[in-house]
Amino acid sequence: MTQKKKFWPRGVIPALVTPFTKKYEIDEKALRRLVDFVVENGVTSVVPCGTTGEFSSMTIEERKRIVEITIDQVNGKIPVIAGTGDAGTKAAIEFTKHADDVGADAALVVSPFYLKPTDKEIFEHYKKVAEAVDLPIILYNIPQVTGIEIPWWVVEALAEIDNVVGIKDSSGNMPYMMALFEKVFGKISIICGHDEIAMAALAAGADGLILASANLIPDIWLQIYNLVKKGNFEEAQALQRKIQTLVRIVTRQGGGLAVKAGLNMMGLEIGTPRRPLITGGIFRYEDEDLMRLHLEWLGKLKKKPLQLEFKPKVVVKSEFSGAIPQTPSRISDFSLKVGEAFASPGTADVAHIDLLLGLMDGPVGKVIEDTLANPRDGHEPVLVKFEGREVKPKTLLTPTVTVRSEQQAELVYVYAMSGVGKAIADSINDGLLPKDALDELVMIANVFVHPTASNPKRVNINNYKAMRFAIRRAIEARPTQEEILERKASARHPFRYEP
Amino acid sequence: MKKFNLEGIYPALVTPFKNDTDIDEKLLRHLVNFVIEEGVTGVVPCGTTGEFVYMSREERKKTVEIVIDEVEGRVPVIAGTGASSTLETIELTRHAEKAGADAVLVVSPYYLRPADKGDFQHFYELTQATTIPIVLYNIPQCTGSFLSREVVEDLAQIGNIVGLKDSSGHLPYMLELLQTIGDKINIVCGHDEVVLPALAAGAKGAILASANVIPDIWVKLYEAAKKGNMQKAKELQMNAQKLARIFVRHGGAVPVKAALKMRGLDMGKTRRPLASGGVLTLEVKEEMRMELEKLGKTKPMQINAVFELSEALEERFKDLGIISQDIKRFKLATAEASAGEGIEKTHISLLSGPKSSPVGYGWAKAVANPEPGCEALTAIVEPNLAVKPITLIVPAVKIESMRQASIIYGPVQSAVGKAIADAVEEKIIPEEAVETFAVIVKVFVHPAVVTRRLLYMNTYDGVKLALLKAFGLWRKRK
Repeated sequence: MTQKKKFWPRGVIPALVTPFTKKYEIDEKALRRLVDFVVENGVTSVVPCGTTGEFSSMTIEERKRIVEITIDQVNGKIPVIAGTGDAGTKAAIEFTKHADDVGADAALVVSPFYLKPTDKEIFEHYKKVAEAVDLPIILYNIPQVTGIEIPWWVVEALAEIDNVVGIKDSSGNMPYMMALFEKVFGKISIICGHDEIAMAALAAGADGLILASANLIPDIWLQIYNLVKKGNFEEAQALQRKIQTLVRIVTRQGGGLAVKAGLNMMGLEIGTPRRPLITGGIFRYEDEDLMRLHLEWLGKLKKKPLQLEFKPKVVVKSEFSGAIPQTPSRISDFSLKVGEAFASPGTADVAHIDLLLGLMDGPVGKVIEDTLANPRDGHEPVLVKFEGREVKPKTLLTPTVTVRSEQQAELVYVYAMSGVGKAIADSINDGLLPKDALDELVMIANVFVHPTASNPKRVNINNYKAMRFAIRRAIEARPTQEEILERKASARHPFRYEP
Repeated sequence: MKKFNLEGIYPALVTPFKNDTDIDEKLLRHLVNFVIEEGVTGVVPCGTTGEFVYMSREERKKTVEIVIDEVEGRVPVIAGTGASSTLETIELTRHAEKAGADAVLVVSPYYLRPADKGDFQHFYELTQATTIPIVLYNIPQCTGSFLSREVVEDLAQIGNIVGLKDSSGHLPYMLELLQTIGDKINIVCGHDEVVLPALAAGAKGAILASANVIPDIWVKLYEAAKKGNMQKAKELQMNAQKLARIFVRHGGAVPVKAALKMRGLDMGKTRRPLASGGVLTLEVKEEMRMELEKLGKTKPMQINAVFELSEALEERFKDLGIISQDIKRFKLATAEASAGEGIEKTHISLLSGPKSSPVGYGWAKAVANPEPGCEALTAIVEPNLAVKPITLIVPAVKIESMRQASIIYGPVQSAVGKAIADAVEEKIIPEEAVETFAVIVKVFVHPAVVTRRLLYMNTYDGVKLALLKAFGLWRKRK
């Protein structure tokens, strides 16, 4: 590798989220906390004001201030690469000059966006920015957001400029990245910015990673990076597979929005994004719950003691490994708890569960007895079995849709049921359903399987997810009243509208 | 030299299949007569709606022959003879020419996409090998690419190319064609949702999937537009709009065949992999039935939806195990209310009380042991956003179709959810009830209800009003 460039971006670099307070002001304390968190985890550099950092939702002054705070907090321990791109050349120059003045180590400059310039104009945009400063410049290709791709022949020409030191490619378009390797490998640093293909990009020769999910799991990315650099592809592949669902949620379901939700679950108190980004849109409620499960499986959530008060002074204790700050530490009133959950993907293979949770000697227990004594045709209730044995807590499964065919019956009573059963087993393992309470608790799961569903595997997985989410919602009493009030105005029921 | 004048309304005929290996000749002849009697200008066998991609060459030829034979010169026949390969296209076009078709409709090459030069050469070689008038066919939704205007401009110079069917629905493209070569060849519209603007802009007609089902409407629209009566044309397009949208966006041949069956013209099933319940969901299929009813194209379904209000409010929750004595004894909150008029009117019977009262038991019973056709569901503003106090919706009229089910699991469910959430915010529901109470809402909705927006509003109003009454009384009693 020829390294004539004065700065060579490499390693694992989080594109930092920008924490905001409840009033949507910049939360300086939280930003400093986040910087410390990733630095302690060993990241190679940090990028303030990137796409994940919501640069497009901030004022000029705010963007400058965030770069300054980050540089101050990093305190020379690692390089700081400031996000300084903008739609217009003048603004991009202003931000880049500022970054240079306040001591950033490099600038990450996104290609012009919104109005879509041609290759000639893109070339001149970058040339002018590079000429205006001494600061090392990293080009940034992210067509999902900008609407344009920086043509490789433009990158090839820009690489000749002294202070153009690298390109971050977030397109996820591997053939494009391969063209970059062909044309500019060794001339400038080639950085992958797409979390889903990061390991593959490193294996193909990428110098480093600038990733949204490196806020959440910097340690795992460093392991992957180091494994690939040592040539241990098999272990690196296994790790990438392990985090694939989590990073798919991050890249496809909301970027910074998803990252912030995850950091909050981990207890970093990072706040929520600025408008127009809101949870429940591209980052769907089910993504939030799925992300939580995956963070738990990766050991990123703190265990929390849990007390279930079945009756006054009858308390069962447990430790919940999937706890988030919203998880109450003491839970009472078990007369009738309800959890509703919907899980996709699939058009006909979605799952929707209405779950009731209560006590054996309460109304839920009584209803189970009465229902088993008087079953109705087409909605035959069954006690849930998992791996051949009746589960505890005793759980009654009732199909929502009248069962009219053998295929439907098989999907409900075999595939949906085993998903439901596994969800119960896993909820016991994570400590949410305490082992000491399994004889006292009972549940009723009303399970929706669409009459035209056909994919058994998906019905099984979706029902697993829906049941996992439903149990959590029933016990944690979520969505909370606060969440309902906040979310009700923008709610969009998919079947509310005519085709 | 241009000898075929492409204009008017042409249905892209569906192909009735007898089984996997044969065409149902009888049904096809029947369909041809149906559309001719309805006044269409001509017919197009073996188009996209005719599932040409699922047919063997022999079947395609046979279909064209049957149609020509049945038409017997009454109207022009434009045979669909396009194929992915140039050789096959030439073979099928030659056959159509020999069989006596008036013109051919030739889709641009698909699957492997040869770019502009290859597209041009494909059509050029076809014009050299045949003499029949050719209609070019742009349908990028299926082929994967637009037939570029520059290529069309060059092809329009060739004598036997007489027109172009544009199914893209992309009006800038169509206007580009009209402006550049509209004086050389006739442009017709192939996208059912934009027939009106296309005709207004200068398109000479339309070749449509939905012209199998509602040929008369399109013929009227065409005539109105031709006479410059745009008001009338607009009304006709708006009437057909929802149906057109369903045909175009939910699978073409699948909804067309389903709609024809509803009209009493059973044309059999589409070939695999297309199937009802996939791209055309059962819910949308039922919507289509309603639209056809609205247009007077099918007999209204027999609906026995008489809501028995003779029962006292306190007696309406017996099926959930809650009797009037319980309501008195536990001082449960009850109320009824209705909102709206006509077929969109909703009626609400509401019951609420502590979860530990019989309301909790009834709530759980309805979830655990639902009555077929009246399956209960929780009130949510949208999936994954259930409201508090926990609220259960129980349909008061038996659900008999997927459409009805999607009306309940849609506008009704979200309206009840929103009304509850708003009532908590507006303190109509007391704060202490939010976590401790349960609500049961019995909802009467007419099974033939048409406008989801009105239904949503009426259900919302009805629930809100019932909550005001129920908790107002409940507070007083307290």
